[in-house]
Amino acid sequence: MKTGDQRLTGDQVGTIVKMLGLTTDREFNCGECLQHVGEYAERQLSNKPVSDVIASVEQHLALCPECREEYEALRKILEAGQ
Amino acid sequence: MTQNETNWPALLRATDSAVQAAAVRELRDVLQAGLRVALNGRSDVSEAHLEDFAQESLLRVLERLEQFQRRSRFTTWAQAIALNVAFTELRRKRWQDVSLDALLADGERLSEPAMMADDVLGGDEERTRLVATLRHAIETDLTPKQRAAILGELREMPFDQIVELLGTSRSAAYKMLHDARRALKQRLQEAGITGADIQNAF
Repeated sequence: MKTGDQRLTGDQVGTIVKMLGLTTDREFNCGECLQHVGEYAERQLSNKPVSDVIASVEQHLALCPECREEYEALRKILEAGQ
Repeated sequence: MTQNETNWPALLRATDSAVQAAAVRELRDVLQAGLRVALNGRSDVSEAHLEDFAQESLLRVLERLEQFQRRSRFTTWAQAIALNVAFTELRRKRWQDVSLDALLADGERLSEPAMMADDVLGGDEERTRLVATLRHAIETDLTPKQRAAILGELREMPFDQIVELLGTSRSAAYKMLHDARRALKQRLQEAGITGADIQNAF
């Protein structure tokens, strides 16, 4: 099975470039993001300020669509429980 | 009974087996209810899936109890783990037939003009120059596995599937991708393309 259409769309090329723009020397990986995303979600929902550590979650979410999908689902659960 | 958030870890470790079993049952119900909310409306998720995900998530949470640092409510931390378990499995099912050879072969073509054709760039001169530099950097600075991993990400292939296909660990695969992005960014900057140019190009 092929992995998809051969040619990249303009959006996909833009995604590569945007990811490079967000790249920093030190970043959270997915495991580190998972460890802190609960605190990040709770702070976002209650409009509390974010610490440097939590800002790293935000940067990872901008780069990683999978973690972003899981974060959005977590927000849905928290919002339903409010 | 709904547990007090601060009690969860202690109850899940309780030496009284009846107390511990009740807490485990309640946590399983909490996780399943959360998953039902989060995955509501998905045609590929049945009630049986929700039960399986909740059970698997429960085991994962119990394995990682020591890692809970009380920086959020316990159930928020546990729900994040449950969502990771559920989405990982759903993504894996969608991509299970992709082979490493196919990914590597497509990755090898990533620097070709046909893969990042100028006609999708909207005729913008700066954008075209940036992408030409990017193509060259992809060809000269990245390994075949880095090219394949970037292409897999662009096509929304699950990260766990990329890890499995590359035969490495999650942390090694993430480092491989991070190193690739840093190398490409550095090459663009060496060509006089600034961080602001990169941010504003698309």
